[in-house]
Amino acid sequence: MAKSFFIDTTKCTACRGCQVACKDWKGLPATPTKQRGSHQNPEDLNAKTLKLVRFADHTIDGKVVWNFFSDQCRHCIEPPCKIIADDLAPGSVIKDEKTGAIIYTKETKKISADGFEEMRSICPYNIPRRNEETGLIVKCDMCIDRVSNGLIPMCAKSCPTGAILFGERDDMLALSEKRLAEIKKKSPSARLLSKDDTNAIYLVAHEPKFYHEYACGIVNGKRFA
Amino acid sequence: MTNHYIDIKNADVVFIMGSNAAEHHPISFKWAMRAKEERNATIVHVDPKFSRTSARSDLHVPLRSGTDIAFLGGMIKYILENELYFKEYVTEYTNASFIVNEKFSFNDGVFSGLDAVNRKYDRSTWTMETDESGIPKKDKTFAHERCVLNMLKKHYSRYTLDVVSDITGVSKENLVKVYDTMGATGKPNKAGTMLYALGWTQHTVGVQNIRACAMIQLLLGNIGIAGGGVNALRGEPNVQGSTDHALLYHIIPGYLAVPNTNWLTLEDYLKANTPVSKDPMSANWWSNTPKYMVSLLKSWYGSAATKENDFGYKWIPKNDAGADYSFMYLYDKMLKGQVKGGFVWATNPAQSLPNTNKIRKAMSNLDWLCVAETNHTESSDFWRGPGMDPKKIKTEVFLLASAHRLEKDGSISNSGRWLLWHNQAVPPQGDSRAMGDSIVGIINSVRALYKKDGGVCPEPLLNLDWPEKYDPDAMARNINGYFLEDVTIDGKQYKKGSLVPSFAMLQADGTTSCRVWVYAGSYTDADGNKAKKRDATQTPMQKKIGLFPNWSWCWPVNRRIIYNRASVDLNGKPWDPERAVIEWDGEKWIGDVPDGAWPPMATGKGKYPFIMQKEGHGQLFGPGRVDGPFPEHYEPVETPIKKHSLSSQLSNPCAKILSSDMDPLAAPGDERFPIVLTTYNMTEHWCGGGETRNTPALLEAEPQLYVEMSPQLAQEKGIKNGDPVVVTSARGRVEAIAMVTVRITPFKVMGKTVHLIGMPFAFGWTTPGCGDSTNRLTVSAGDPNTTIPEYKACCVNIEKATKVTELSI
Amino acid sequence: MDLTRRDFLMLCGIGFAGIALAPIGYAKELITDHADGLKISGAKEVITVCPFCSVSCHIIAHVKDGKIVSTEGDPDYPINEGALCAKGAAMLNMVNCDHRVYKPMYRAPYSDKWEEKSWDWMFGRLAEVIKETRDATFKIKNDAGIEVNRTESIFWQGSSQMDNEECALVHQGLRGMGVVYVDHQARI
Repeated sequence: MAKSFFIDTTKCTACRGCQVACKDWKGLPATPTKQRGSHQNPEDLNAKTLKLVRFADHTIDGKVVWNFFSDQCRHCIEPPCKIIADDLAPGSVIKDEKTGAIIYTKETKKISADGFEEMRSICPYNIPRRNEETGLIVKCDMCIDRVSNGLIPMCAKSCPTGAILFGERDDMLALSEKRLAEIKKKSPSARLLSKDDTNAIYLVAHEPKFYHEYACGIVNGKRFA
Repeated sequence: MTNHYIDIKNADVVFIMGSNAAEHHPISFKWAMRAKEERNATIVHVDPKFSRTSARSDLHVPLRSGTDIAFLGGMIKYILENELYFKEYVTEYTNASFIVNEKFSFNDGVFSGLDAVNRKYDRSTWTMETDESGIPKKDKTFAHERCVLNMLKKHYSRYTLDVVSDITGVSKENLVKVYDTMGATGKPNKAGTMLYALGWTQHTVGVQNIRACAMIQLLLGNIGIAGGGVNALRGEPNVQGSTDHALLYHIIPGYLAVPNTNWLTLEDYLKANTPVSKDPMSANWWSNTPKYMVSLLKSWYGSAATKENDFGYKWIPKNDAGADYSFMYLYDKMLKGQVKGGFVWATNPAQSLPNTNKIRKAMSNLDWLCVAETNHTESSDFWRGPGMDPKKIKTEVFLLASAHRLEKDGSISNSGRWLLWHNQAVPPQGDSRAMGDSIVGIINSVRALYKKDGGVCPEPLLNLDWPEKYDPDAMARNINGYFLEDVTIDGKQYKKGSLVPSFAMLQADGTTSCRVWVYAGSYTDADGNKAKKRDATQTPMQKKIGLFPNWSWCWPVNRRIIYNRASVDLNGKPWDPERAVIEWDGEKWIGDVPDGAWPPMATGKGKYPFIMQKEGHGQLFGPGRVDGPFPEHYEPVETPIKKHSLSSQLSNPCAKILSSDMDPLAAPGDERFPIVLTTYNMTEHWCGGGETRNTPALLEAEPQLYVEMSPQLAQEKGIKNGDPVVVTSARGRVEAIAMVTVRITPFKVMGKTVHLIGMPFAFGWTTPGCGDSTNRLTVSAGDPNTTIPEYKACCVNIEKATKVTELSI
Repeated sequence: MDLTRRDFLMLCGIGFAGIALAPIGYAKELITDHADGLKISGAKEVITVCPFCSVSCHIIAHVKDGKIVSTEGDPDYPINEGALCAKGAAMLNMVNCDHRVYKPMYRAPYSDKWEEKSWDWMFGRLAEVIKETRDATFKIKNDAGIEVNRTESIFWQGSSQMDNEECALVHQGLRGMGVVYVDHQARI
């Protein structure tokens, strides 16, 4: 039975415990950043930042809202990046049958920069990044080392408010539906994103565009439902 | 905190004001969210800016910084007028029924007894009418025009919605929404908690902000109950413990007054600090002062402290009575060259004190400075800071490489007063040492010199009962205290050398020692070091409210919710049986440890619940503060307006304001500085930033100094998001990156538009290109009770920068 | 127009048969590569407390061969229940950072640099300056002639970062020296 994340943005306080815990666990170094008029830093996912809390403030219906979106690989059930990668370097993207985790292996080194661009552009969520120093293509691996040893991913472990939950897919699906029903009472625009096709289900209270460009996935410039 | 972090989940309303809980105490917010999930609680956030806390609150209400009392005074009026208060609680447990002295008055913003020149009140009229035994007269029918409840109504009658809205910039609609929401917790089966932090304390009316909060919670019957309380989310990692241990000029450990020139002998001291009440219903806890004080002296001076020498009382340095030895005055004196040397341990004054240009200059007048830190900071390295010429700075600087918390054993106390032990994971890295090792080593070296060479007045030093080596476990026992002789109490014998089991056993005759009386019972022969307890067992009653009596230990006597006897009626039955904290089962109290084991008040053998007050009642009229028994709105020392509509007294008549050449102030309504600046931090950085700027993953997330401002102000000033800007005040200039955001809104105040901007203070020059101290803008003015500076409101201007030197862009 | 998953796969040129997995053996080996070698297995767990805000979250430090290899929230502590914010989550990063001061350092008058010194030297020199200042400025009596036994020329500032046991000693030591300018972060 696959595992899934349920990321409930209505509970997120953007404490960035997930972003930093991910780095600390994986030993990923910091990258140089600048203040650009936003709290979102680094500006985007990169080869050393596999988990990023995105910040977006808006005035919606006359009310100030500040949306937080803890972005990461969705671990697609049928990952497009794997289709590309299988052609370019077999074994570079694999799926762990036990957990459903999509994992980029050392074989990704064999993929050229152009090949990487192809992988990245087909990803509806704009997730893959390439480490220019090592040539590896990287992203969240669901903390497969922890999960295989009975632990939960570090981001979910760290999350103070239960905004990032991790568990059996069925449980996460049930939980997300239940939570959606509650949130809908106050926020009619609330919805679940990437629920049926991936193992990272997001709950948002407003239209996805108010969170992040790729919140609900884009292919050929068109958004997913 | 009167309550504790987990208890937030028991609230129906989580009222957050003067705190950005989600950012500064992220795990506290876990419990606010739990209240929302489990009991559909409402989270209300009243704060100048829309923060990550506001994002998760049901209601965010922007308020002009420095106008909290106007807002809260309006709430008091609303609660009284609409009779939302908890009548039985107010009648029985507060001083609402006490009759105020007829000579007490209040007129146009000023209470009776003001000496305007010396900025001090003669408080002799701020008293109650008493009977022949000195017990306050009461009128529980509230017919007497001078009973506290009626005085309260009168005082806040001026705080109408129009007036409050005019001053605070909060819409009347929002005022009513908040007042109704919080006011609804005045019922026996409802609970509202108030969470605050430095957003309330860092004002020239800081203490009165908290008084107003306490008064509201008393009116609503929210003190002592689960899900209620006056809850300071304290800042620093062990600020609770270090305050209990009194690293402050005005107290000695256990909240005992510091000896001063009015009390030259122990007898004088004890007489002045041991209140007497003849009311048999009043526990008057401070009547125990002699036991606590003598046990402290025995702990400090050991066998050198004898009855004959006043237990060494005269060796304690005496403050001049009434003098202020706080850091604002210290640096003022340092600027004049009147201070020679000192210790700055794990704090960063060159970064975090107000008006840091002055602080940095003052430091260069020192002969020597001893800094203990894990990292270089703007203070340790002040002599090579911006504008400094090391060749001209005489200061000898000692930087003691200090161990990180993970590298040592010891205990800290969290805001909920839980005593928590941390274990050494690895030895201090490199050649660093625990600060405990450093202080023991330094004092031993000084003592050795005095022993060898003699010197001025060596007795206070040489008579210290001082260890050879730092041993945290031994100190934890020492803090708890010992029997120094065989002692028999109530027929039970305690052996010399055994640990005191509780402060109830402390003696005033020198037969016990105890470093901090509230910690007595934390380490006992029977149970060992209770800070190490990790036992999650609970009774079903305790489980219901998330009480963990066996996990660690909390002061006092493991009482998790203080003043908890106010959570029950006169018969000892909980106001809200669903959230019972304690309950009288006919023979004893069950649940939490009660505030005294006396039976319920209805038995006639009980005591009033507010045991730390001489009269045993919660103080709606509070004569203990220096600037008034009722909170009154005053503008910050620097204010964008020339007058307000509550009185002609513009600012706090007692505010402490420094007046060196380096302390210029903008005049009220000064057109050069029309914008209100408020300062704060964010989750990713800690205070002055010394540690967190040196943690790569945190600096990556928040790399540089920014200024949050509204789109309207940005447009007026021609500033775009991400532009470098310069912020100026009468004292300094600071460069920052503009963050233009709808999360900041302009305020309509007294008919004009007032803009507010906000800046964090975590960024400093030792981290290249990140910016430098925001506090170069803030004012050396403080609360008259505490001298906590007014970091939260001063007046500035802002413009687009043509060139920057402090930021890498 | 919003797309459905079906449209998406069509656009990507992928059929509905699902994705062919790599040969099982191959995948397993690679997974093992990633799944094995949990860096905390066999590590000693030490309970400590986060050194930032006063919530005092508990942290487990995983120690291997005398080094902290990982830190994470203590799931048993009833307040944080295993969670940590960005600062708490950065504990490993912080303790092991390159910027720490690892040796006692001394800056001589008018010097433009730090020098490394031994602890004995530091304590010895500190004792000298403290005694010199104390002896020169100690007031047995104040200006009004009242016995005060104090010096106003030495101050203490900080430290709410210290443990209770350290605070207790600092307070005692300061009063022993006659220091009255004592203050710390509670006044900030």
